[in-house]
Amino acid sequence: METLYLVAVHLGNPYVFLAAAAGVTWGILGGAMPGISPSITMALLLPFTYTMDPTGAIVLLASTYVGAEYGGSIPAILIRTPGTNAAAATVIDGYEMNKQGRAGLALGISLYSGVLGSLFGLTMLILLSKPLASVALAFTPPAYFALGVLGLSVIATLSGDSLLKGFVAALLGLMIATIGTDPVTGANRFTFGSSDLLSGIAPVLIMVGMFAMSELLVQASDRSEGTKVLSRPRIEFPGLKLARRLMFPQSIGATIGTFEGVMPGAGGTIASFMSYNEARRWSRHKEEFGKGSPEGIAAPETANNAVAETALVPLLSFGIPGSNSTAILLGGFLIHGLVPGPMLFTRSADVVHGLYAGLFIAAIGLLVIGILMLPMCIWLVNRPRPYLSAFIFALILSGIFSIHASLFDLAIMLAAGTVGFFMRMLRIPFLPAVLGLVLGYLVESSFRRSLVLSGDDLSIFFTDKVSLALLVVAFLFVAGSVGKRALDFVRHRPSAHYSEGSE
Amino acid sequence: MLFRQIFTAALASAAMSVFPAIAADYPVDTVTLVTHSSPGGGSDVFLREMSKYLAPELGVNVVVENVRGGSGAKAMADLAQAPADGARFYATTPTFIYTSLLSEPEYKYTDLEPLVNFFIDPEVIYTAAGSKFQTLEDVIKASAESRGRWGAANPASLERQALEQLKASTGVQAGIVTHEGGGDLMINVLNGTLQIGVGEVQEIQSQLEAGEIRLLATFSDARLDNFPDLPTVEELGYGVVVRKFRGIAGPKGLPADVIAAWENAAQAVLASPEYKKTYEANNLRANFMPHAEYGQFIETFANDTESFLRESGVIK
Repeated sequence: METLYLVAVHLGNPYVFLAAAAGVTWGILGGAMPGISPSITMALLLPFTYTMDPTGAIVLLASTYVGAEYGGSIPAILIRTPGTNAAAATVIDGYEMNKQGRAGLALGISLYSGVLGSLFGLTMLILLSKPLASVALAFTPPAYFALGVLGLSVIATLSGDSLLKGFVAALLGLMIATIGTDPVTGANRFTFGSSDLLSGIAPVLIMVGMFAMSELLVQASDRSEGTKVLSRPRIEFPGLKLARRLMFPQSIGATIGTFEGVMPGAGGTIASFMSYNEARRWSRHKEEFGKGSPEGIAAPETANNAVAETALVPLLSFGIPGSNSTAILLGGFLIHGLVPGPMLFTRSADVVHGLYAGLFIAAIGLLVIGILMLPMCIWLVNRPRPYLSAFIFALILSGIFSIHASLFDLAIMLAAGTVGFFMRMLRIPFLPAVLGLVLGYLVESSFRRSLVLSGDDLSIFFTDKVSLALLVVAFLFVAGSVGKRALDFVRHRPSAHYSEGSE
Repeated sequence: MLFRQIFTAALASAAMSVFPAIAADYPVDTVTLVTHSSPGGGSDVFLREMSKYLAPELGVNVVVENVRGGSGAKAMADLAQAPADGARFYATTPTFIYTSLLSEPEYKYTDLEPLVNFFIDPEVIYTAAGSKFQTLEDVIKASAESRGRWGAANPASLERQALEQLKASTGVQAGIVTHEGGGDLMINVLNGTLQIGVGEVQEIQSQLEAGEIRLLATFSDARLDNFPDLPTVEELGYGVVVRKFRGIAGPKGLPADVIAAWENAAQAVLASPEYKKTYEANNLRANFMPHAEYGQFIETFANDTESFLRESGVIK
């Protein structure tokens, strides 16, 4: 309780307030730009923080992170382009709702779910930092492997009408993930002497290509005019009935997000996909998923915003950044001579309390700025299709180019777009490919690391309790999903097309 | 209008305070230091701090530029093709040797000219405070009885090389687990998955101060000023010394006056009492090497690394 009081003191600090408001605005803009990841958005601000006071600098960077994680959902809903990796799950139902002319509601749901997720995550961060930090410590390499497998098990339900096609897509993703440096030996794999491939292919290139580029190609090949349903350029929040319905998927998202955020290396993408999947599993309106379900937006958006808060747990308690974004934040701390880790709370408690206060202001700022900004975004995508397509094309090209100023990245993105276009024609779902790509490295490196630990003894995955528990859950998920498909097949009932929107 | 004037004035005064009047003897006005590290990364923060002290000594503006991609391959290509007029330099760490050897990029470390060295980052061996190991000998003994579990931050890194050398020189059995950075490694040491980890003091400082980890030895050539009781691996009789360097390299064919200016500036920067306080607090060891010595050092370092990578089967 004392902590809460000390945090409250900072709420009135105009400096913290300004830094949080500026950070969250900049973050939303950066997150909404395809290709500009939260970490790049933060890195761009870093030079400005050199001369700021430590609290202001940290608040600015952390609020940018919060804003960017939310901002990713805006293009996901409006132009089928996840602005951040973690927003990929939001594309499924968000873009469907947009196509039905309900963009205002979709954006409203993602906004208020994002705010709720942030506030929940922040509460956990403030009150339960210590116990949550011990969760991070319980995860050994075998446990990370099992966590990755659990994430991959979602593929079984995201595969749409054909499990086989889902596996093909997942394998494609896993194959792309093997490009780059071997995680154990350090040798180069499938790089063909190109230094551009040395650090692997960034998931963002594949995501933007497969989702956005392929959508542009599909639209360009559609000659019909005026089929587009326009959404009214205003943001709508759900009524009481819908809000009550969304409470359950939101709590799923908040819980999963909190835990995934705490684990270094797990991150928002796994959290949002897993909460999407769980929200669908426990929903009373399963048939709506993939066809514009509000629950399908609420769950992943709550999750990835909760991650943005609890990702600070390992950073503040151990000084360990779990993602690129928190690594930039670590840089922000170091620049000001602060060393995150066990001593931070005793030595610079004031900065930590200021940070908490700033994050609270950022969460509220998210709501205010979202309400002001979103109608303009809807207006923008209501422009005639040729203009819009040209604008999106320019936007994604410049976004991808700006990551490393690399034409090679652009080529990869365009190639992924072409592959995505043909995948859509063959009705092969994208989501398993994206999941395979995001999780491939985690699964492979943890698997091989575990084997180095155990001296090539596979039993390590069953003697580690966390690993065993996660593997059992993953097995139950897959068995349940496959069993249901088999049952539907025997009874000659068509399987539900879960991920229609992803095809 | 008023705002603009104030802004310009503020900018000018800020520039004045950081960069002094331009001296006549250095051939260019602005020196760019290229790093492959991302903004906020270890090398980036280090360079920005150092450039504050370097600027007045060289009498120029010093700018840090991040040329990322390919673990330094892009930065090396950038430098190798830059004119050797003293305007553009590359901040070297062992990464540029590893990348050159591992990925055979178009431009390698041999296409650059090592200029001067500033620092050595001491590498230390640490274990969790709750572990039963009190000394490095305990770890080696335990690993001789049953297979040890040792950790390094990255697969192609000096830390892994150091552990592989230690393993070879002691002849014990140990799995050397590589990670995706020091953070991952730290977690696995703290939770007891690994017996020991290797890292720079700076990376583990906070845990060290909180008493959550214990240092066992350093791979340095001499004991560390901040930890006078910590034995070196060499004096324990295992004969492994590791020098993680931080220096500057430029394009081939640097003019003699530029080389001389840097040699003087480097020594002056390292001697600056204000900077000394900062870098010693960050556990960096000043280790000035002039141009002639540094070139030799880099060559030896690269040869050692290459034979290690060959022996461990990473490259053919």
